[in-house]
Amino acid sequence: MSMSTRQRVQARLTRNKVAMVGGVYLLVVVIVALLAPLLAPHDENLATRFQDILFSPSSEYWLGTDHVGRDIASRLMFGARYALFAGAEAVVVALAIGVPLGLLIGYFRGWVDAVVMRIVETVVAVPAIVMAMAIIAGLGVGLTKAMLAVGIVYSMVITRLTRAEVFAAREELYVDGAIAAGASSIRVMFRHVLPNVAPALIVQTTLLFAQAILAEAGLSFLGIGAGSDQASWGRMLRDAQLSIDRTIWPAIPPGLAVFSTVVAFNVFGDGLRDAFAREARGGRIGVGDVQRREARPIDNEGVPVQDAGGSSASDPVLTVRGLSVAFPRLGTDDDVEVVSGIDLDVGRGEVVALVGESGSGKSITALSILGLVPDPGQASASSIMLDGSELVEMPFEQLSRIRGTDIGVIFQEPFAALNPAHTVGRQVAEPLRYHLGMSRAAARARTIELLAEVGIPDPESRIDAYPHEFSGGMAQRVVAAMALACGPKLLIADEPTTALDVTVQGQLLDLIGDLARRRSMSVLLITHDLGVVADLADRVAVMYAGQVVETGCLEDVFASPQHPYTEGLIRAIPRNVSRSGDLPTIPGLVPSPWEWPDHCHFADRCEHVTQECRSGAVALTPSATGMSRCVRAEELALKGVREEAS
Amino acid sequence: MLRLLVGRLAAAVPLMFAVATLVFFLAQANSSDPAGSILGLDATEDAIDAKRAELGIDQPLLSQYGDWLVDAVQGDLGTNWFTGEEITTELFDRIPVTLGLAFGGLLLAVVIGCSLGVLAALKAGRWQDRVITVIASLGIAMPSFWIALLLAYYFAIELRWLPAVWPPGGPDGIGEWVEALVLPSVALGVAASAAIARQTRSAMIGVLQRDYVRTALAKGLPVRRVVGRHAIRNAAIPVVTLIGFQVAALLGGSLFVELIFNIPGLGSYGVDAIFRGNVPALLGFVMVIAFVVVLVNIALDLSYAWLNPKVRVRG
Repeated sequence: MSMSTRQRVQARLTRNKVAMVGGVYLLVVVIVALLAPLLAPHDENLATRFQDILFSPSSEYWLGTDHVGRDIASRLMFGARYALFAGAEAVVVALAIGVPLGLLIGYFRGWVDAVVMRIVETVVAVPAIVMAMAIIAGLGVGLTKAMLAVGIVYSMVITRLTRAEVFAAREELYVDGAIAAGASSIRVMFRHVLPNVAPALIVQTTLLFAQAILAEAGLSFLGIGAGSDQASWGRMLRDAQLSIDRTIWPAIPPGLAVFSTVVAFNVFGDGLRDAFAREARGGRIGVGDVQRREARPIDNEGVPVQDAGGSSASDPVLTVRGLSVAFPRLGTDDDVEVVSGIDLDVGRGEVVALVGESGSGKSITALSILGLVPDPGQASASSIMLDGSELVEMPFEQLSRIRGTDIGVIFQEPFAALNPAHTVGRQVAEPLRYHLGMSRAAARARTIELLAEVGIPDPESRIDAYPHEFSGGMAQRVVAAMALACGPKLLIADEPTTALDVTVQGQLLDLIGDLARRRSMSVLLITHDLGVVADLADRVAVMYAGQVVETGCLEDVFASPQHPYTEGLIRAIPRNVSRSGDLPTIPGLVPSPWEWPDHCHFADRCEHVTQECRSGAVALTPSATGMSRCVRAEELALKGVREEAS
Repeated sequence: MLRLLVGRLAAAVPLMFAVATLVFFLAQANSSDPAGSILGLDATEDAIDAKRAELGIDQPLLSQYGDWLVDAVQGDLGTNWFTGEEITTELFDRIPVTLGLAFGGLLLAVVIGCSLGVLAALKAGRWQDRVITVIASLGIAMPSFWIALLLAYYFAIELRWLPAVWPPGGPDGIGEWVEALVLPSVALGVAASAAIARQTRSAMIGVLQRDYVRTALAKGLPVRRVVGRHAIRNAAIPVVTLIGFQVAALLGGSLFVELIFNIPGLGSYGVDAIFRGNVPALLGFVMVIAFVVVLVNIALDLSYAWLNPKVRVRG
């Protein structure tokens, strides 16, 4: 990440025009509030001439006069002072009490949580304005005391929200991870929990500032906030009500003032929230269709397209040709390609491993095959054939049928992939019911069979359990059962074992291998770990920085890799390292997509790099064992696995 | 589920007790002398003392508290100092009016807020989303009493379409009830609709980014089913929380709206009690409001258990 979070937030915020307008408006309100005595043409309270009652706007009284002849424009300017002061007071009180309290009880839970939540519930059980009134009855009337009361009431809302967010954050794996890693409680709260709570707090704080301004207006409207000598906007509305049977006008400027200030706070807060969000926008179920791109004689780097790797699959279930995926780059109008012209074949009953480090574009390749590229992404391909059907530009509904029946998917995080609100049985049965039109009873019976097939003990009783009642390995088996429900021809397994405990990783891989053999099902196994594929795959496609750099049969690729990157991956398999040595890694990281060079993408990390490697784009060409995207493939004698891969 | 309900009801008892205690002593901190204000300026010392004894406020505070609590548990909230009527009776006469008003506002808010919020989330970043977001941002910023003033002026005083004040003797028949409650309910419901729309949108956007939504799509379910079965239920949890707040906010807002439209509900009763230092009436008012809010929250707690199975397990 080249920019700091703060810079990114600032950059996004300044690009948000609405938020900036809100911010500028607030600045104006603040300036008017500060300079009210200088700016106001008339006094805050004194009527200039007693008989000038309920005047319409004029050059002397810009916004007219109220029912006792006071200048509305001048009172409006002084009103800004009361509004901002009151809002700030209430919010500061609310945050000062609510955030520490919420963090504390959310983190420690137990009896502290129980006691505080009873108090919170007591206060929240009564509407805020009513509770504020009860506190005011004790404190006495007046703006400062009234807003202190409002702040105390609002702190309960902040406490409850912070606690809920802490609970939610605790559900996420990273907090457990930090605890497991031995971080102290305070450190976990401030380093891991608070940053995730902050966006929600910012949203709530802006709302609360707005609410506080409304509360000030309301209490002053009722006569227990600002005094009669304080030109608060709420007080002005109270006065306006007295003459409502004659004219509505005196209610318009103060009402608009409250309204517009509150709007400004809200839009500014929304802008902040969007700026904090990890993605600038999204969330829409915007899954872009895969666009057709004509098969071109040369690819986008000016290199002739070869028929890649596919030649080895005699009876392909899946053939992908020229698949590219581009995303708009944040902060620019440019698109960045994250996958460039992938060709891929999976034969019938064949297990193909797509291997590469994170950032190489392998997961997005899998999502493209499903037509599920996340929203701003644009996928294009000249062809994606699944068992004779062309998926490119297939309408969403038609593709949905194929997704549920012919392709099954296992994702990386089983708990994230399963819906926490439904039983596992219901989730496994859903495609059966929806795609195959099974009755409830038939779908249940079949679901039990499926759960048994993936090795879940006692499926008859586990079918009604919720995902959180399963271990990670068992939950991933549920996901597998869901993927298998309609008997897919192709199973896509996207890092199926990465999130799992080491002890169950092997079992799950064995399961996938068994299922593939028993069902004669093709598998596209996506992984960063070449070691994972050794027992499972028939063929390997190695991806690096958006390109396939080598393909070939498993044995060949392991025995004599034809690309330096593959050699590096093989060397990084722990079992190939003698016990004394450190685990060798490939130096450096996969470059970000916008940093990809025109020449060989791997050149900067390659120990065999020469001048020739940087002279131009490198094509995927036939090699001794398959295909390779390396100009030195023939001359280099790259090292593979010494002993036989078993 | 039944155990949860019983548990929540049991938990409501100490909660109501806590509210009663808190508000009783807060209200007593008011130092003004009710006997003097009831009898007027020319009352004699003896008359005031007699009145104080009659009201029971010459007793020590704790004994007043004990007496009040014992009566309150039996449903007797005391006698109104100013009208001499039973406070329980007075409040029960007013409950239907305020509940009708709050229900009108809530109905409006939930229907409009949830639909707009879901629509905005599904169209996130497109024009529909922008329009809804703008409307919600404007709606949330409107003080209910300002809307009430504007509605009263334009639709009642100017256009004379709907009554500006409560019909004398109360509304007669469904038609008059609806007529009398339309403007106040709208005034109450605008801000709540906007708040619910915002929360629904933000919750839906969060849920739509979750992996299980992707899983549901990968299962080949159509978007409508993915939204209906997999997204809305998970997105509903924060929305339900907000609705809980909104019920309290609506009851609080009824204070203003009832005042402006001259509606004889709980809100105007409470405001009147506060201004006159009518402590038992204020206490009764707060207890009834708290009771309604507690009941609503128990209903919402039960809905959490339905929405989030993890809660059900923790019980």
